[in-house]
Amino acid sequence: MTENDGLILITLFCLPLLSAILLMLIPSKERSLIIGLTGIASSLMFIVSIYVFLSYDFNSTAQYQGIFSLSWVSDIGFIAKDGIQLKVGIDGIAASMILLTGIVILAGTIVSWKIQYKIKDFFILLYILVAGVFGTFAMLDLFFWFLLYETAVLPMYLLIGVWGSTRKQYGAMKLMMMLVAGSILIFAAIFMIFAESQLGTFDMQALSSVQFDRNFQILVFPLIAIGCGTLGAMFPFHAWSPDGHASAPTAVSMLHAGVLMKLGAFGIIRLGFQLLPEGGQYWGPGLMTLGIVAALYGAISALKQTDLKLMTGFSSISHMGYVFLGLGTYSLIGISGAVLQMFAHGVMTALFFLLIGAMYDQSHNREIPNFSGLAAKMPIWSIFFVIAGLASLGLPGLSGFVAELHIFIGTFQSYPIIGGLAVLTAAITATYLLRMFSTMFFGEFNEKWNQLNDMNYLEKAGALILAASILFLGLWPSPWMNRIADSIQLGIPGVLM
Amino acid sequence: MSIGMQQSWLLTLIPLTSFLIVSLFGKKLPRQGDWIVVLSGSLCFLITLLIIGDFQSFFHGHGFEPDGNNIYNFDWINIPNYLLIEYSTFVDAITVVMLFVVSLVGLMVIIYSIGYMQGEQRYHWYFSLLAFFLAAMFTLITTGNLLQLYLAWEGVGLGSYLLIGFYWEKQSAAEAAKKAFITTRIGDVGLLIGIIMLWRVAGTFDIQTIIQLAQESTFSDGYLTTAMIFLFFGAVGKSAQFPLHVWLPDAMEGPTPVSALIHAATMVVAGVYLVSRMLPIYTLLPIAQNLILITGLITALLAATMGLLAQDIKKVLAYSTVSQLGYMFVALGVGSLTAAMFHLFTHAFFKALLFLGSGSVIHATHKQDISQLGGLKNKMPITFVTFSIGALSLAGIPPLSGFWSKDEILLYTSEFGAIFYGLLLFAALLTAIYSTRLVILTFFGTPKDQEANDHAHESPKLMSVPLLILAFFATVSGFFIFPFVGNLVGFDSGFSGIVYLDHPHDFHIELSTMLVAISVSLLGVLIGYLYWLNADGRRAENAKEWAPEVRNLLLNNYYFDNFYQAIINKFILGLASIIAWFDDQVVNRSGIDGSAQIINYIGFRLKFLQTGKIPNYVLMMALGIILFSFIMVVNY
Repeated sequence: MTENDGLILITLFCLPLLSAILLMLIPSKERSLIIGLTGIASSLMFIVSIYVFLSYDFNSTAQYQGIFSLSWVSDIGFIAKDGIQLKVGIDGIAASMILLTGIVILAGTIVSWKIQYKIKDFFILLYILVAGVFGTFAMLDLFFWFLLYETAVLPMYLLIGVWGSTRKQYGAMKLMMMLVAGSILIFAAIFMIFAESQLGTFDMQALSSVQFDRNFQILVFPLIAIGCGTLGAMFPFHAWSPDGHASAPTAVSMLHAGVLMKLGAFGIIRLGFQLLPEGGQYWGPGLMTLGIVAALYGAISALKQTDLKLMTGFSSISHMGYVFLGLGTYSLIGISGAVLQMFAHGVMTALFFLLIGAMYDQSHNREIPNFSGLAAKMPIWSIFFVIAGLASLGLPGLSGFVAELHIFIGTFQSYPIIGGLAVLTAAITATYLLRMFSTMFFGEFNEKWNQLNDMNYLEKAGALILAASILFLGLWPSPWMNRIADSIQLGIPGVLM
Repeated sequence: MSIGMQQSWLLTLIPLTSFLIVSLFGKKLPRQGDWIVVLSGSLCFLITLLIIGDFQSFFHGHGFEPDGNNIYNFDWINIPNYLLIEYSTFVDAITVVMLFVVSLVGLMVIIYSIGYMQGEQRYHWYFSLLAFFLAAMFTLITTGNLLQLYLAWEGVGLGSYLLIGFYWEKQSAAEAAKKAFITTRIGDVGLLIGIIMLWRVAGTFDIQTIIQLAQESTFSDGYLTTAMIFLFFGAVGKSAQFPLHVWLPDAMEGPTPVSALIHAATMVVAGVYLVSRMLPIYTLLPIAQNLILITGLITALLAATMGLLAQDIKKVLAYSTVSQLGYMFVALGVGSLTAAMFHLFTHAFFKALLFLGSGSVIHATHKQDISQLGGLKNKMPITFVTFSIGALSLAGIPPLSGFWSKDEILLYTSEFGAIFYGLLLFAALLTAIYSTRLVILTFFGTPKDQEANDHAHESPKLMSVPLLILAFFATVSGFFIFPFVGNLVGFDSGFSGIVYLDHPHDFHIELSTMLVAISVSLLGVLIGYLYWLNADGRRAENAKEWAPEVRNLLLNNYYFDNFYQAIINKFILGLASIIAWFDDQVVNRSGIDGSAQIINYIGFRLKFLQTGKIPNYVLMMALGIILFSFIMVVNY
């Protein structure tokens, strides 16, 4: 990635913003124009995110590539020269996450075209959210990082509250309250870091070269871990997640579980590990403990869920538990596994929510025991669901396995017993998924659902993009692993090899 | 370019390609693309023969070199200082035996299926799954490293899941598929833990390197034992050994040719294959090895007793498979690679034959319950003769193949310990009894269901020819133990000179054990004859009164299923309920909603301070001023 590619990163994050502004100018009744515009915009984001991923040079020794900065606040009061700047640049972790966002937003856009109610406003909010997501992944300035992080979170309230289903007000309120409470912790941590460094700058690169006092690091790291962990649905701050997913509209669930939750884990790496490495190392076992508890807790809870979305929600908690487990190892393999898992879980869970949405829009019912033999009526839908499920239970050759293998190996290096429990979790995952398969898809077809149709071509297209990503990562993980491993070695001080 | 051991990756690529073609485009192809799968099956058989030829010259030329036949293909994952996972193939004597079994039985089953599955819906899906399974199975047996093995291991599990659930409209088939996958998955937890534990010390997944390191005592004994027991647990799941044997009888819900291929000859022996592969390590670890021996022995006995009373023709065969797999583990437990692999070799043919024969019966009568069958021997002569050959081979009647391989196991066990030998002989007696019972109830006597019997006819050639071919192998494969038969097909020696652990040894006849084995088998057949054929089965009817408790125990398979179901319902789902309750009440209601309510309540209380009356505000202000003045005065 050359220096000029910094402009690409700016483009990437301006693209959704511009699209949102353009959408505002279009009259609401021009439905086909809205669909056309969003199609072009999301495809562009998809293409640019692939370009960003591919052009990232993993042989380079630079920690960040494509750095580009514009000074915003400089030499004012306690803020030093170039203290706040719009500074972008990515490492391999961010590159992977940007690719993930590009994939999920394209699939999410395609399946959202069937929305009838205020489709324009829906997409405006969605694109503001996406701008925040792209921006957070690409930003190297703490001030803007936090600004965009919030930009990514806040539209969620309206998206769920207006376009959601079932207990949407409750779900939206709970989600927002918990995430904002988490943000307060991050906000506090950012200013503590800013003050402690005495550099007067929010530049992450400058801050990461500061050797903070060990006690300070140990004090501040939990603020970031809990603050970001709330967005990542870390146990015991996960409660917003199942309710939020259950009430969110399809594309929002996809983006939220697929991408936003990863923002939380990304924050722990970017802010926690890179700025406060000793704090991260100190709290590693704590993160691991919460991670394995979440993995087991989510998986066992999922056994008992009858609502398809709630089951997937708890499954997400379980899979994000793997992410925290991997992060907690503070080792090269473990953190690589965590990042791979972020990607793998992102595409897999987006596919889950896409499929659930495709069915729920027709049946307005998500109770697993109400269905049986759906494979007869919706074969393609069932096949996609099985692919996502198999990826989720860690079948080799699909994305989940590559990630989980890394996490297991990383955990075994330091704590074999936790590693063993993590492997066991994969078996529980298999149990709840296969129970669901055999109830919903197989057996005699329930004639009550005779009016259900298989997926339409838009849904198929969206699902195909996600399923292809699942297979690609599962069969050929090297493009990701090269980028991720390289960045971890360069970017996280003292990481265990 | 000649094809040989270097090209064994073709065995993965060819069936995988045909899987993709047939599953995606099968509906539009002529004959739904079954010929593509037949073609790829034949090609794989051909390649296997070429590999065997190559192996022979290799064998003649250099003797046996463990390192010489590890063939590197490409790096799957290679990040320096980080993780290296190669894709490699490995061909040695064990592989060659497995290759021959898998490719021959695979081809027979594919051909047989054309007849058996004629007119089924999802015909192309069935054939594509067969191809997928074969691709995974070939990968499993030709792999050189443990991670690739795990990949293939899960692959065959998936193939098995989808094929057991092939008739997914039937709830029982869906349940059976689920049970098979989850049960083997529990074993796989152990397998993966074992693999990672080995990697943790060895730093590699390569099997031969790990064996070498183990022999050089790189691992501590306790650690290695733990790892290898975990690894064995994976084998227990896949090979349906006690206590994870419960899935195999249910797996009979799948189409019968699938049972022959996956649940008799190939996938279920993957566990035996794995332990055989790692046997050089197991022989270093007495605890682990004894565990294998005892597991095998318990399984061999338990399953044989369960087979005695089973009513479903396929379930009898399933129990017998479990039991025979137990024999193989016993052989491994006493350290005889030769005996285990030899029994695997012969068992594959006669058990596949028996399953395909039972399929032929089911195809003709649409009945599986042996109490509903009978009197078929004249109606279906080819099926009858071939099935009998299989059953007698299973019973261990000389000169059929099962006799020779079982005799090898008994011989090694007798050298190991009298108790094991005695128990194994008892299992052999039971085997002979239930095999005889199965043949008698199916083919002899008067038909129980006259209508079904009237419609019965011999199966088409597509089905009977594979039966005949397998019957041929079920008859002669045992002779491979003799060096002169080995010479006939181009080897220097018999089976024991090709597949061995440390050094080849010549086959010699131990007359006393052989005579004991023969008499036990004959006794079993005689008992079977007396009870079920002689006097029209009245003795068997009377026997029902003897010990109803034992009978119930056996009919319910020792209540294993009930026990596991109770554990799942009471313990696991109970735990899930508790956690769900905790999540709902403690985390959500008390933690989240509760804190919101507290804040709400505080706000509710505090709002009364906002009275709107100016005197109140002035009073507050005055109080505040007094308070602050007081604090300042005190501090000053």
